[in-house]
Amino acid sequence: MSEGAVDIKNLVKTYVDDRGRPTFTAVKNISLHIEDGEFMVLVGPSGCGKSTTLRMVAGLEKISSGTISIGGRVVNELEPKDRGIAMVFQNYALYPHMTIFNNMAFGLQLAKKTKEFISESVGRTSKALGLDHMLERKPHALSGGQRQRVALGRAIVRSPKVFLFDEPLSNLDAKMRVQMRSEISKLHAQLGSTMIYVTHDQVEAMTMGDRICVMRDGNIMQVADPLTLYRQPDNLFVAGFIGSPPMNLLKGKVQKRDGSLVFVEGAEKNGLTLPLQGRLETLASKYVDKDIVFGVRPEHLADQVKDSAHIPVVSTVEISEPMGSESLVYLKAGTGNMIARIHGEHLYHLGEQVTIQVNLDKVSLFDAATENVIR
Amino acid sequence: MTASQKLLVRKTIAHAFMICFLILILVPFVMVVSASFRQGNFAPSRFIPDKVSLDHWRYVFGIPYQEVVNPATGETRLIKPTTPPLFWFWNSIKVSFIASTGIILLSGSAAYAFARLQFRFRAITLNSLLILQMFPMVLSLVAFYVILDFLGQYFQWTGLNTHAGLIMVYLGGISNYIWMIKGYFETIPPSMEESARIDGASQFQTFTRILIPISLPIFAVVFILSFISYMSEYPVASVVLQSGDNWTLAVGANSFLYEQEKLWGRFAALAVLSGVPITVVFLMCQRFVIGGLTSGGVKE
Repeated sequence: MSEGAVDIKNLVKTYVDDRGRPTFTAVKNISLHIEDGEFMVLVGPSGCGKSTTLRMVAGLEKISSGTISIGGRVVNELEPKDRGIAMVFQNYALYPHMTIFNNMAFGLQLAKKTKEFISESVGRTSKALGLDHMLERKPHALSGGQRQRVALGRAIVRSPKVFLFDEPLSNLDAKMRVQMRSEISKLHAQLGSTMIYVTHDQVEAMTMGDRICVMRDGNIMQVADPLTLYRQPDNLFVAGFIGSPPMNLLKGKVQKRDGSLVFVEGAEKNGLTLPLQGRLETLASKYVDKDIVFGVRPEHLADQVKDSAHIPVVSTVEISEPMGSESLVYLKAGTGNMIARIHGEHLYHLGEQVTIQVNLDKVSLFDAATENVIR
Repeated sequence: MTASQKLLVRKTIAHAFMICFLILILVPFVMVVSASFRQGNFAPSRFIPDKVSLDHWRYVFGIPYQEVVNPATGETRLIKPTTPPLFWFWNSIKVSFIASTGIILLSGSAAYAFARLQFRFRAITLNSLLILQMFPMVLSLVAFYVILDFLGQYFQWTGLNTHAGLIMVYLGGISNYIWMIKGYFETIPPSMEESARIDGASQFQTFTRILIPISLPIFAVVFILSFISYMSEYPVASVVLQSGDNWTLAVGANSFLYEQEKLWGRFAALAVLSGVPITVVFLMCQRFVIGGLTSGGVKE
């Protein structure tokens, strides 16, 4: 059973102008395999090529080079309707002049299904989505969440092998977004279909995806499950993109002092100095006197000594954001800025001197030149 | 002055302005209506005629009547129009209706191409249309005459002095309508059509089943505008149509204004009559010309 598997090989999309001259390359030779039944999230900042990739899978954009196969069949030249896909758009894209019933039935009507079949499958889907009492209404009489549910329903009745979502929640308000997020996750669990979900919101990516594909400037930066992505980012971009607040990234050099390696932050004299012990020493040994980036997640900065892996750093509080059970503390240490996520209900004051314990076990080091993680 | 007094003053001024404006619009109309019910063919007179006469309306509807030739002797003569003006009225409706329908078909499909398809010389074509529409149709009158004369030698039904020929000339004036409809199409998000494509609609089905129903308001507007302009179009029609039974209303009405004797009464009656189909078309199309037909389908 791999009929919902999507295989993208060496995919390139170059846009051309009226005369066929290339103007802009949105997707630069990416390869990605999506398993049957997998929930794959494409995430990245705007203009990273994630939507273009999705639209090529849908068949709405022509493929410049490379292949896309769905269920082992190359679909490059197939019309969207023949690819076994359904798509949910950011702006819902409902047909405003049709009733909800007709909106959902349109595809089946075009496919010349019988009336009984159409009313049966639209009825069943609308019931499951809680839309059955508004089938005779038109889209303008529905709220944003209901409209998005109609768009979902329209996708479901096509019983596709692959669902494609193009930022489906970004037009909803915060509360509705959380609700629809779990509804789509539930839908995935129920139907077991392959889903490809495009978003710029890393929270959506982390909470929904089986695997996440982080993209930038038409390239794939890393593909991994949410926790791997969070714990072991492959490069600076992923480290900075995933996580809120993002990973603290300090630029500096590896230096040898008194026989052991240290990380010296910045070029200035009063930069922060952190010892590189154990695992980090091995990693940094090839980078003596070279530029690296020292990355540590906000939650790995603690206010108490826990074990020997923690190194104290004296810092000054610049801003404190108490969130209840934890505080986000913006610190100035040396010449750099760091954010710490500190548990407990302690209140920090502006300008206060705090000794922060950095957990060296959780630190990632990046090569400043290639921006890749040092392994 | 208190706030409510201020509001009262503002309201009074606004109403006074609007009433003045209404008078400005209505007075000429009332004058024309009154002229059509007046005895004799004189333009200026009182608003309310001394003696109401249906003579001009009888003439327009082709009903023979006795006209007083010499009021002193009471001498009358029988007046019966050679071509009943109602015939011109029908010609006008026929020509305007067919031309407007054609305009919608042509400019709608052309606008779709310009709004949605990528092809070479798209921008240049669009801009030349924009420049072409700046020249009034009258400027090419001589060319139309020659072209129709030439065509008439081979296809008699579309030469000079035929309605088909006139309609063909009228269909040439679509460039501003193309721009109008294209502008409307561009406000419709492409995702709606993409969605239809995924649902399995062909390009033609997408156009007819999604784009056209959504665009009814702009089609209604284009229909009304072109219908009105062709109902009252004179210069081209007067050159193309030569025989009296082919005339449109505007040409026919103008025929009452001889150099020596301007028959304002008949002219007025015909002018009032020409407003009827325009009003009917407007009322019919009005229900489509409602904003927000696309509302709800997408969220920007």
